[in-house]
Amino acid sequence: MKGMLATAGGFAVANWGALTNSQTLAQEVRRSGKRCIMLYMEGGASQTDTFDMKPGRPTGGEFRPIQTNVTGIQVCEYLPNIARHADKLAIIRSMRTQSVDHGIGGYHMHTCYPSSQRFPHPEIGAMIAKYCENPESDLPSFVKIGSTSGIYGAGYLGPQYEPFVVSDDGRLPGFANPGVSAEIQGRRGELLNFMEQRFAEQRAGEPFAAHRTAELRTIRLMRARQAFDVSAEWERAKDRYGDNRFGRGCFTAMKLVEAGVSFVEIGHYGHDTHIDNFPISKANYSVLDPAWGSLMHDLHQRGLLRDTLVVWTSEFGRTPAINNRAGRDHFGRAWTIVLAGGGIRGGQHYGASNRDGFEVEENPVSEGDLFATIYRTMGINPRVRHYLGSRPIWATPEGSRPIQQLTGK
Amino acid sequence: MFVSRIAAISLIVLGVLSPTAARAQGSALRDVIDREIKASWAKEKIATPAKASDPTFLRRIYLDLVGMIPTYEETTEFLKDTDPKKREKLIDKLLADPRFARQQAHAWDLAMLGRKNRLVEGTIGYRNRERFRQWLVKQFEVNEPCDRIAAKILQAEEDGSQLFFAANNNTDEMVTSVSRFFLATQIQRAKCHDHPFEPWTQKDYHGMAGFFVRTMVVEVPGKPEITNQKGKQYRVGEKTVGEVTFTLPAPNQKPGEKPAKKDKKDGVPIRPKFLNGAELTEPEPPSGFVEPKLKPNEVPPKPAFSRREKFIGWMTAKDNPYFAKAAVNRIWAQFMGRGFVHPVDDFNRQNEPSYPALLKAIESEFVARKFDLKWLVREIVNSEAYQVTDIGPATDALPKYYERARIRPLSVEELTASLHIATGPGVESALKSEPSAQMLQYLGEPTDGQGRFQGSLSEHLFLHNGDQFRGMCRPDKGNLPEKLLMGAEDWNAKVERMFLSVLSRPANSEERERFVKYLSVETKDAKMASQRMEDAMWVLVSCSEFRFNR
Repeated sequence: MKGMLATAGGFAVANWGALTNSQTLAQEVRRSGKRCIMLYMEGGASQTDTFDMKPGRPTGGEFRPIQTNVTGIQVCEYLPNIARHADKLAIIRSMRTQSVDHGIGGYHMHTCYPSSQRFPHPEIGAMIAKYCENPESDLPSFVKIGSTSGIYGAGYLGPQYEPFVVSDDGRLPGFANPGVSAEIQGRRGELLNFMEQRFAEQRAGEPFAAHRTAELRTIRLMRARQAFDVSAEWERAKDRYGDNRFGRGCFTAMKLVEAGVSFVEIGHYGHDTHIDNFPISKANYSVLDPAWGSLMHDLHQRGLLRDTLVVWTSEFGRTPAINNRAGRDHFGRAWTIVLAGGGIRGGQHYGASNRDGFEVEENPVSEGDLFATIYRTMGINPRVRHYLGSRPIWATPEGSRPIQQLTGK
Repeated sequence: MFVSRIAAISLIVLGVLSPTAARAQGSALRDVIDREIKASWAKEKIATPAKASDPTFLRRIYLDLVGMIPTYEETTEFLKDTDPKKREKLIDKLLADPRFARQQAHAWDLAMLGRKNRLVEGTIGYRNRERFRQWLVKQFEVNEPCDRIAAKILQAEEDGSQLFFAANNNTDEMVTSVSRFFLATQIQRAKCHDHPFEPWTQKDYHGMAGFFVRTMVVEVPGKPEITNQKGKQYRVGEKTVGEVTFTLPAPNQKPGEKPAKKDKKDGVPIRPKFLNGAELTEPEPPSGFVEPKLKPNEVPPKPAFSRREKFIGWMTAKDNPYFAKAAVNRIWAQFMGRGFVHPVDDFNRQNEPSYPALLKAIESEFVARKFDLKWLVREIVNSEAYQVTDIGPATDALPKYYERARIRPLSVEELTASLHIATGPGVESALKSEPSAQMLQYLGEPTDGQGRFQGSLSEHLFLHNGDQFRGMCRPDKGNLPEKLLMGAEDWNAKVERMFLSVLSRPANSEERERFVKYLSVETKDAKMASQRMEDAMWVLVSCSEFRFNR
């Protein structure tokens, strides 16, 4: 713990003396544990048009399946890049979830608890940040690229784990850029350091230490902010990822996990296809496929995929039935989520929907089961307990079970 | 006389001082508090802590009673006063200050509505919230007794008082919020299964719901300046009929399972029942009564028999076993940090109060004095326990034995107002100030689920680079940094004024030297000098000493 002093209480206190020394970031923090990138399809992504196709059935729709690099796994013809990574994908085709409207669904699929409990559950990124963060990293542990997918917050875990939100192409918010020159920043930092140190000499209170620690991390973040600036490399990557916000977001996410960020979420907007499902979905996939495919490729190439879990998810799926405006509506009874990397056993389906896709045929998976699977993969105890006031609360609801077939443990 | 005093003292040491004994002795409550707290120090072998220094006390009492730091003039006046009773005098002055009512209103409003309620935060209903606060201010201005304020909030008849119900607009939320805020119990835990720690069953929960099931909140058109964004204001009414129904588990039904269709039973109505008390006896509704068909946005006619009124009567009765205790515990925690029962809204059998005799003594006195809030606050803040030092090895933000002052972050309202004092615009400006949306977002709720402070990256980035803090520190428009920059005094005097204005204390020699050095280089270049002044002010409003009330 360079630059930090651990107290008897286990609380890390910023070593203010070290603040003024120049610090190098990036390289040395790569030994941190697991990381996670969540691709969140805002609006409810169609399973029938992507990973659980029903060719020849009335619900099948316009798209055709294509072969992937795994025998027995087929995906939509508009996901050709993803098809080349099927050996890494665990496709859960038996999601059965409870909250099938946007607000409540978004909450439920970010926290694994229904919003009707009116309890400050933390979203998944906060939980992963808490248990997987590298305290030495100069970067925030939980980054959201864009707020498309909703901000649910750190809830009972506290503001230390609130998402750090950057714009939807991955650029930093305005106020993350120093308002003053490095020289001024440095000298006033020393003066602040002097005040804090004197104040702390006789005052051991934890809130003061927490305040100083956050200040220290902020200064480190401002020094490390170039990690968010991918413009130079982006020029070479944009043709592969797709020169759009989501593409750039995926590329930034890859760079951020490489630099040690524990959790990055990227939203992809526009899957709520109540009307004209097919042309809209086709356009969506033309953005999704190269970005996600390139992300898988780069993570794999750089040896990051082993420790990086990629989650493709949404607030719910879409009805197999096609409505009279050629759209598909909200659907929670049998839909699909995809996991890859981070130790997940790829190249397989888990669960199945029935012939026309209206019901789960085998192995239904709840919100809690999904989160338990993710947490287990990340090395987090799915039943870890926290307290709100005196009330105990668990990371996943009672009865949630990790899917062993996917985690292998 | 002598003998009886000895007897009383030994009883205190045993922690069984009866409130009547305290009154019989003619002790002020503040002395009872100190005897009990000191006895616990002896018992826990905690060395008697020092008293807070004058500047520390000054800043603490201003923030606690009027919600902002003292001005430079208020600070210097107090520090040079040599009257041994100056703390008591200041307390009386601040309790009589109109800002006291405003600060109390903020505290109650936040405790009742929180930060993240969509109805009361953000764009949907900010006018309502301000009206609710203004209504609360009126109550505290006339020192309305706490039981009366509570009754009026539940009656929800006075203009502006309706927000508590509007924010909890269904029976379950009303029951949960009323019992947490006013009774300090978590009755909602008995909703779906019998209570884990209390002898309450689901029937108790639904029995309490019976008092509120007929209550409804409607939105009616109102004058533009008092309405929410939809042009409506809230009214609370009560219907004449309506029951809570409850379905017992079907035979063979296992927990968590739905009953088989053939076993499904209709719910049976549950009679209203006072918590841990009797069922409500009530007249039958007039025979053949049919609830009039209400138009949307129409308040039902006042019922001949109001269940809610009965609940209010029960809750605020002198012998109610919950209400006074809950109120005392909350007020204590507001000033002392940790409630006797902690957290404050969770009295239960597994969470016994830390100083039971003291709680009982305060409660009895509070009831005897007709729920006089100002009296209670005056007694608490005049105690040595409240005026304890902020220095010491304890790490807990809220020490259990009160041997060091609690540490709490300034609320965004306090922070915004205090910035106005510290940087020069002054009290008038502070009173008009409102926290910006960014302040609310980044500094609005800085604690985790158990009240522990956490600094977020966003908070500090905002402090560093957001324009609000820096803007107020920048020499401009006759503010303090500009005055200091232009002033003719020497740098020592300027630094002294700066510290007294921002941190409510003189600078020590080391600090004076450091700040003078920082400010007095580059004085020939006006832009550089101005930047350095901004930096120095920024350091003082960004440091822990400013961020917390301790």
